Amino acid sequence: MSIIRTENLSKIYNPETVPVHALRDVSITIDEGEFTSIVGPSGSGKTTLLNMLGGLDKPTSGNAFINGTNITEMSDSTLIDFRLHNIGFVFQHYNLVPVFTARENVSFIMLLQKKSRKVMAERADKLLDEVGLGDRKDARPKEMSGGQQQRVAVARALASEPRFILADEPTANLDSASAMNLLDIMEQMNRNNGVTFIFSTHDQRVIDRARRVITMMDGAVDSDEYHNREKAATGGGGQ
Amino acid sequence: MSILFQISWRNIWRHPARSGILMGAIIVGTWGGILVAGWGNGLIEQRVDYLISTELSHGQVHHPEYRAEREPWMTIPDAESILAYLEGDERVQSVSPRTLSEGMARSPVTTSGVRIHGVHPEKERATTALYDRLEKGDWLGDEFRNPVLIGGQLADKLRLEIGNRLVLQFQDIDNEITAGAFHISGIFRSASSDYDERNVFVKSDDLSALIAGETFYHEIAMSLTSSDQADGVIADVNERFPDVHAQTWHELSPEIRYIAAYSGTLTYFLMAIIMMALAFGILNTMLMAIFERMRELGMLLSIGMNRIRVFAMIMLESLMLTFSGALAGILLSVLTLWYLGDRGIDMGMFADGLAEFGFDTITYPFVTAGEFFGIVIIVIFAALIAAVYPAIKAFRLNPVEASKE
Repeated sequence: MSIIRTENLSKIYNPETVPVHALRDVSITIDEGEFTSIVGPSGSGKTTLLNMLGGLDKPTSGNAFINGTNITEMSDSTLIDFRLHNIGFVFQHYNLVPVFTARENVSFIMLLQKKSRKVMAERADKLLDEVGLGDRKDARPKEMSGGQQQRVAVARALASEPRFILADEPTANLDSASAMNLLDIMEQMNRNNGVTFIFSTHDQRVIDRARRVITMMDGAVDSDEYHNREKAATGGGGQ
Repeated sequence: MSILFQISWRNIWRHPARSGILMGAIIVGTWGGILVAGWGNGLIEQRVDYLISTELSHGQVHHPEYRAEREPWMTIPDAESILAYLEGDERVQSVSPRTLSEGMARSPVTTSGVRIHGVHPEKERATTALYDRLEKGDWLGDEFRNPVLIGGQLADKLRLEIGNRLVLQFQDIDNEITAGAFHISGIFRSASSDYDERNVFVKSDDLSALIAGETFYHEIAMSLTSSDQADGVIADVNERFPDVHAQTWHELSPEIRYIAAYSGTLTYFLMAIIMMALAFGILNTMLMAIFERMRELGMLLSIGMNRIRVFAMIMLESLMLTFSGALAGILLSVLTLWYLGDRGIDMGMFADGLAEFGFDTITYPFVTAGEFFGIVIIVIFAALIAAVYPAIKAFRLNPVEASKE
């Protein structure tokens, strides 16, 4: 079942001065439970596409549908609320709130969703246990390594029970061991819980793990390939 | 909402040194401003009290044209009836009838223009605070013939001491120049060096005898149980005795009334300047905080924190920072005013300069409850000014652009 569908998505920056075609007629469909990488060189449009899918940016033309809802027609405030309940985000620089503990960072999004304190506490603890930070729940970001911070960010993204998670270069700032550990966790979430992950990356380690790789070039889809099905099915993690 | 308070408070203390310095500036600014304003209030009140107790009293009665013309013959008609009426009024504490004349004080060294107050010694002592301000010698008694009290400033100028002779020259009732020799029985020093140089006090009987050969009065001063009674007492005198003109202290000296009435304005003006200056500091700090947290704010907008909440969070940070500092400053100033209001601020080292302007050396600072309320309003206003712009800046952030910072 498709969760994301785009129709001729285009984005032109500075249309009246020096037009930059960041996206050109991108039409893709992503199904529930996918583990997809959007790859390409810098400036190829992968982050722009990710922003469009996350409702963070508006296309110049074309449409993006999430679960059949056209998000390009939504107002800014409706989109913010839509993101809160439907999309999880993982950022390259973790972007945790420094004055919050790991538990509070994970709970915060549920607080915005107006969930009860009991539900928040239980889910935050469960997610932190799942990402291997059961003993770091009360640590603040500055007391954690980059890998640990990014795992908190993944737990935060999962906390709102989104339909899919968009991860922009999630391993770019991590060492190999932390990156592999993070990918293991995300792959496990995908395989065991059916969480849909969409990465923007040029990290070969992420590409090797993805079951679908969409390659962008000059703002357009250059190739769209499914692979690693076997590896995912058997639960093997690429090293 | 409580979580926003919690986040905002924690955000303030991300940079303890920076927030601490700013909060310190707010505390010192608020404390200093209130204290200076309280001191100003104390000076004004002291001046008004001084004028009422020493120079004006709560009200005075004159011949209708005396204050404009000051002619010796413009005496108070039927003064005895007025004195009897006032002495029978329970709102009136004491009355002092006076004979007045403009004249010259002569010593072997020099002469000086003075106003001569002929007073009834006991009644004047009960009505004004002049007796309390005697620096040397005695009150108008029987030790000397024709005793006179002069100010310390005039004594210095004429180079006279207790017991020395002073010649007072003035007009009699027929506008002829006349003079009398008086002996200095006492030297007073009021809060105003100018007053001390230009006023002398003799017995009314002595002065009247020289002016007209009989006792008469140009002025009746009255001290009331409360200055709030002044309007009522004066209105009653004017109604009962249409041939005289009675005036309250604020009619006699309108400038003092205005100074007293607008004393609170000084407080507000001072606090407004201080808080506006602090508002720029708060604004600068909050803008720095926003620029530093651009990526984090972008993340919050991305994950679904709506713009109103982001706006509220930044507003709360500024407001909590300002209010915490201002509250501490106000509490500190209340304690300081409580201490100094009891003991007073002694400016003895500037006594000469203060006397030039008619101020005593000890001032008791105070700020009224109404003024404190006004200060709180100014603080809120300044905090809002400082908070709104950074909050709008955060409200308008584009999450994509902000996340790139």
